[in-house]
Amino acid sequence: MNFSEIRPQVYTYLGYTSFVPDEETDDRILRALTALDALEGFRYLYRAYTEMPAFLRKSPYEEFLRGCGSVVLCVTTLGAEADKRIKLLARTDMTESVIWDACASALLEARADAYEKNFGEDRTYRFCPGYGGTSVADVRPIFEAVRPERIGVTLDDSNYILPSKSMAGIVGIGKRAEKTCGDCMLRERCGYRKEGTRCYDSAKK
Amino acid sequence: MLRLGKEVKIFDGGMGSEFERLGLDGNPMEYNITHAKEVQAIHRAYACADYITANSFGLNRIKYKGAYGLRELAMRAIENARVAGKEVFFDIGPTGAMLAPMGTLSFDEAYDAFAEIAEMTCELVDGYIAETFSDLYELKACVLALREHSNKPIFATMTFDASQRTLTGSTPEIAAAVLEGLGVDALGVNCSLGPKELLPVVERLLAATDLPIIVQPNCGLPVLENGKTRYTLPLEEFDAYARKFAEMGVSVLGGCCGTTPAFIERIAAYRGMPVVRQNRERTTMLCSSVRSVEIDGVRICGERLNPTGKPKLKEAILAGDYDYMVDEAVRQQEAGADILDLNVGLPKTDEAVTMAQAVRKIQEYVDLPLSIDSSSAQAIEKGVRYYNGIPLINSVNGEQEVMDRVFPIARKYGAVVLGLTMDGNGVPKTAEDRLAIAERIIAGAARYGIPRHKVMIDTLVLTASAEQQLVAETVKALALVRGLGVKTALGVSNVSFGLPNRPLLNRTFLATAMASGLNMPIMNPSDGEMVGTVKAYGVLSGMDAGAETYISLYRDTVAANPVSVAPAASGEREKAEGLYDCVRKGRKDQAEGFAREELKTRAPLEVVNDVLVRALTEVGDAYEQGKTFLPQLISAAEAAKVAFAVVSEFLPKGKTSKGKVVLATVKGDVHDIGKNIVKVVLESYGFTVIDLGKDTPSQKIVEACLAHKPLAVGLSALMTTTVASMEETVSALKQAGCKTPVFVGGAVLTADLAKQIGADRYTRDALEFVKVLQADYCK
Repeated sequence: MNFSEIRPQVYTYLGYTSFVPDEETDDRILRALTALDALEGFRYLYRAYTEMPAFLRKSPYEEFLRGCGSVVLCVTTLGAEADKRIKLLARTDMTESVIWDACASALLEARADAYEKNFGEDRTYRFCPGYGGTSVADVRPIFEAVRPERIGVTLDDSNYILPSKSMAGIVGIGKRAEKTCGDCMLRERCGYRKEGTRCYDSAKK
Repeated sequence: MLRLGKEVKIFDGGMGSEFERLGLDGNPMEYNITHAKEVQAIHRAYACADYITANSFGLNRIKYKGAYGLRELAMRAIENARVAGKEVFFDIGPTGAMLAPMGTLSFDEAYDAFAEIAEMTCELVDGYIAETFSDLYELKACVLALREHSNKPIFATMTFDASQRTLTGSTPEIAAAVLEGLGVDALGVNCSLGPKELLPVVERLLAATDLPIIVQPNCGLPVLENGKTRYTLPLEEFDAYARKFAEMGVSVLGGCCGTTPAFIERIAAYRGMPVVRQNRERTTMLCSSVRSVEIDGVRICGERLNPTGKPKLKEAILAGDYDYMVDEAVRQQEAGADILDLNVGLPKTDEAVTMAQAVRKIQEYVDLPLSIDSSSAQAIEKGVRYYNGIPLINSVNGEQEVMDRVFPIARKYGAVVLGLTMDGNGVPKTAEDRLAIAERIIAGAARYGIPRHKVMIDTLVLTASAEQQLVAETVKALALVRGLGVKTALGVSNVSFGLPNRPLLNRTFLATAMASGLNMPIMNPSDGEMVGTVKAYGVLSGMDAGAETYISLYRDTVAANPVSVAPAASGEREKAEGLYDCVRKGRKDQAEGFAREELKTRAPLEVVNDVLVRALTEVGDAYEQGKTFLPQLISAAEAAKVAFAVVSEFLPKGKTSKGKVVLATVKGDVHDIGKNIVKVVLESYGFTVIDLGKDTPSQKIVEACLAHKPLAVGLSALMTTTVASMEETVSALKQAGCKTPVFVGGAVLTADLAKQIGADRYTRDALEFVKVLQADYCK
């Protein structure tokens, strides 16, 4: 994994906008990314469907998947150990904990993106229920299909995914689509946008 | 069950994959009623096995939420399995929910769910197979529930991945040791991977226990075809591995996902093969769920979690301040302890309740094995029950009555017991008499079925000032006791009590004791000189091969005194210029020194207002202007917090805090990093934070507000779904007549939404929280 490509994303999560962080923070980010990756906790489970599962037959999923020949439901995680480390750090060094937290989010996105290259070039980005004001409850049918307890990921009664550095998503196969702010519920009051950046793909801003 | 472990037995194969083959795609538990014929047909097809697994994997109240009753499904599952005419094992899978602390399901809730199943079925089945568990703690709850509600055989298997660990990080050795300790009849591995990939796991399991091993691999690694999972390992190959497992000493063979009746028929050829196991030497081992510590050489047991002579810890225990205990545990782990002693015994407290809670809290953060230290059998039982691993029990002595109280607990949970060489007559004067008590303890343990390798002996240190001639007896007794084939422990620092320069006596005694066979000094791991003595002994005794550990620790030590083994701070950091600069730069490690320096020339309140608050304001302003960022803000807050704690020592009582704030992440929400950041920033400004944690029921928040009468209560929610829970909390506070202003925050909150749910204030981030609090709510 090339960590320097992930770093801009970490800076974004940490609230950095126009400034390049100091060398010390930079160093800590690199070390955290290296340590998190060395935990080898990344897992990705999916199930592909040629026929659209029922819960996707509504807006905005229909629009998102229009023109796709099949759809992948996936659950991915950095694992329980990452959570544990972040939590332990919160006791001994809160700054380090916050850096690790941001690094873990960025690393999971990057790892999942890299994994999805296996699905070919013609694919959408990973749409996770909750994006654009969609109901978080839509992760439940994804869980029922993928059964990610096999990789240690569970869903609680309020639709929280555990470990916390995990995602449940939908990838359309057969067309290309990249993330935009277009239908995001936070668009009008997004802190990132105010600063002229995005919460995704910070490197390309 | 006849001849289990003597000759190879056969379990059945995949059930789910058979359903899939039949094109069934509903809830498999309900097939027991809706498709009973199909279920029975599968069981009949597996009748070549010795054991038939009932179709009951997902039958527990946490996992199964459907149209039928649990009992009804369980009865039918057993009836269906009976048609094969073989022994029926009831299948028990995980709840599918994550146990606390990672998740929200408590150990007791998991236990209750499994106990319910055991109660329903114990008279009707021939045994239980708890399988596909990936969390050893959940499996412990399951095995305890089964053992306490039935007397039928229990087989327990876990899944391991390619890293040869379970998903929660347990090794085969740890899983085997814990399950053996809990008294299962056979243990092993199922599902996970194909037989080829499981080979190293099976090897490690066989080497880790004498219990029968059960192996139920998948039919190779899954391949995805058109959204369907397929297992494609050829029958011949599966069979070849089954044979290999039998030859290695595996007692029970079966299959999991993708294996069919044809596979089981084939491997049934190995039924009756004699099981040949290699004899192995049993070692004394303690473990948490992820770390095992073999008591060989010298292992340091941290003694700091014992209230005797520690007023702050005493205060913490009385106040139920588990954070203090956790911090002390983390400090000892970082200082290099191998094991942590935990004693929470204080008069007028419910020691059992405190012990259970302390064990749960500490194992959340620290992965060292614990030593449950108490004279109360109830407290020991609670500690050992909730401990996720194999703890040490500290302690028994030569009195029969004490042994009768404690040994059954050690036996039931598989704990190691520390025996003190004393009895009703006190500590014997001679080494030989102490040896006699040690022998009595080992024999007593054996009568309760506790093997020798699960006993350790403490030959007891007396103070050199009072009983000088007995010090040599303690050391001599160590060597004698080691001759019994058990490991030894000593509370080293007792020796110097009442004499000057105690550290010198302590480390000299430690060196002498190690040379005579001491395995586990119970000592302060933060004492660099004591730890240094242990490391030096490692070199001199040859245990630290090539002096590698020693060199890595002391390579840069120039002065011989004092020795420090504190881990080096990450990276070289420039030194701050004074307290103001120290806070501004966020140098937490230097804050205490600078604060003390500053206090020499300034009044405490001046230091707070002119230095700490000013520095924080500078950083805060820069943060708001986008000139500095979250890491710097938090570092500054942490440095200020350390400094504030120092200054507080000089402030009159009652002036040390600007007031209390209650913080909580609301019920249903488990992400707490935002709340934790608010906490640090509030504390840096001198507020006292009562942190109720995450997933907090509204009732608990109401109680805290009524009890503490804080300046404000801060609620955090991260998702749209938990804002409802926030609203409920706000209204519960109002209903209880609580006038405390409610601050809310979190990713999905806005000022409008805050107003809508009845909160008093919305603050965007930690800094705004402090500003609003100071401006509008502090007199």
